[in-house]
Amino acid sequence: MSTELDRPTGAPNAYREQEASIDLSARMHPIPAEAPEQELLTLNMGPHHPATHGVLRLLVTLEGEVVRDLKPIIGYVHTGIEKTAEDKSYWKAIPVMERMDYLAYYFNAMAYCGAVETLLDLEVPKRAQYLRVIHLELNRIMSHLVWLGTSALDLGAISMFWYCFRDREKILDLFEYSSGQRMHTRYIQVGGVIDDLPAGFDAKLRTFLDDMPTRVDQYLDLLNRNEIALQRLRNVCPLDEATLLSLGVTGPLLRAAGNPWDLRKAMPYSSYEDFEFAIPVGRKGDNYDRFAVRCAEMKESVRIIRQALDGLPEGPWITEDRKVALPPRHELATSMEALIHHFKLVTEGYRVPPGEVYYPIEGPRGEYAVFIRSDGSSKPARVHMRDPSFVNLQATAPMTKDAYIADLIATLAMLDPVLGGIDR
Amino acid sequence: MAWPPSPDELIVVDAPEPGGAGGLYRAFGETLRGLKTTFARVVEGPTTIQYPEEKVPVYPRFRGRHRLHRFEDTGLEKCVGCSLCAAACPADCIRVVAAENTPEHRVSAGERYAAVYEINLSRCIFCGYCEVACPFDAITMGHDYEMSDYNRSDLIFTKEMLLQEPFERTPLRAEGE
Ligand code: SF4
Ligand code: SF4
Repeated sequence: MSTELDRPTGAPNAYREQEASIDLSARMHPIPAEAPEQELLTLNMGPHHPATHGVLRLLVTLEGEVVRDLKPIIGYVHTGIEKTAEDKSYWKAIPVMERMDYLAYYFNAMAYCGAVETLLDLEVPKRAQYLRVIHLELNRIMSHLVWLGTSALDLGAISMFWYCFRDREKILDLFEYSSGQRMHTRYIQVGGVIDDLPAGFDAKLRTFLDDMPTRVDQYLDLLNRNEIALQRLRNVCPLDEATLLSLGVTGPLLRAAGNPWDLRKAMPYSSYEDFEFAIPVGRKGDNYDRFAVRCAEMKESVRIIRQALDGLPEGPWITEDRKVALPPRHELATSMEALIHHFKLVTEGYRVPPGEVYYPIEGPRGEYAVFIRSDGSSKPARVHMRDPSFVNLQATAPMTKDAYIADLIATLAMLDPVLGGIDR
Repeated sequence: MAWPPSPDELIVVDAPEPGGAGGLYRAFGETLRGLKTTFARVVEGPTTIQYPEEKVPVYPRFRGRHRLHRFEDTGLEKCVGCSLCAAACPADCIRVVAAENTPEHRVSAGERYAAVYEINLSRCIFCGYCEVACPFDAITMGHDYEMSDYNRSDLIFTKEMLLQEPFERTPLRAEGE
């Protein structure tokens, strides 16, 4: 097996040569020479398998019930979103970019809009930043709830699934309230957010914030010290911090191994420096720590939302720079200038100064980042999403080496991959 | 905020080792504690909704099936066929062909009108950009979310279909409810 990838340069058959160099064997790593006691069995897990949390295919090499090697194969839900975005003006690419990781749409939009704002050197009003934080943190809780529900389901705790989806429903309801859609809300826009909070949102959100910590405690009552859950999670499939770092793993997986890396504190964006919150970390980096870190994060998110809601400053919710943001609707009927701006922004969009930017934010699965290269026109020349699920997926093989196949399922659940984000 | 974070900014999660005497206790004690959560839900009652008999009311901002509008007094169409909505659509699912109004044949209030106005709802991603783009409030996102059909071609909504008053199928919540 060749580990070096030769990159042929410019030859007419360059693509074919590169294609031929791809190793198609079922194994990622050579299996050590000492003879296995049983015959090795290579098995396809997925792509259509409920335990793979999406359309993921795992080629596992088993010795009896023990996983000796594992090779993830992706690309079944490839959507070509990055390429599509190159063909849209910056404004029109927002709803498209949102659809990558379908459990973290606010994060996708935030990373993208943040990157465009950096290129434009645009100031985002304080109120917009706070509104973004509120929705980002709600989205984080929502994503963790889906993770907790489906992971507990993989461990056999079916009722958790209903509890989590009941609470997720409350969040989706709030999303529909403020932005008009339960998923893919395109609420975050370049320069701010599309609209202010509607009347009555505040009260509804507060009821949710009062409920949520109790709910998390209820989940923890069920799972945290449950002997079956402990047997299934504690000391299972750990991976040390150094390996995780060398693989580029971020988010709760890295924090479970004891490294408190959290971009919200390390490189604050969107006014995260204004809020007080703690970073949950684990000690051992096993499946239990991954579980407990995420549960604790939900409570911290509630704290952040409450502070943002209490401290919500007055002011505009989108930048007043008319070169970027659409003019307010009431002006369209009265001001010719506003109408011309509106026409120009909708048909052509704004031009973005040439340059490159990489804008990372802390998502529910780790570091979401958008890279944009602009050539000065009104469409991005290249957009790339650094999706944490994709990077984190690499850690599956080292984590599950020599583990039981049942623990592979649990580990995959604790990894929380979202295939929409992996394949893009 | 300083980096690295101080220890009091960290929450360290921990759990006992499974098995042993503690495990024996937990197999009963903690299971009972978990059951408390389960049984408390019985008191709370069900939260499910019997769709389609019962429908969840949507919020005023909800983006459902589009509607085209007429002026209430004159009955003229608000749409002037400017194609801004089609230009804004990220999914390229709106097709507008404009034609001139004549004194004998006046369809809209402006100079031109939309002779053809089609939305391919099987492509639409319900982003609402068409509504944002339209300077004349001619197109808005309605509240209807029950749009499934047996044929893809039936999902191409024409101007006549979009101008129709839709069936009242979806309840609407008031602002602040
Ligand atoms: S809602 Fe969005 S995708 Fe649908 S027609 Fe309007 S602009 Fe196009
Ligand atoms: S609906 Fe509005 S934006 Fe679209 S063509 Fe008609 S007037 Fe123009």
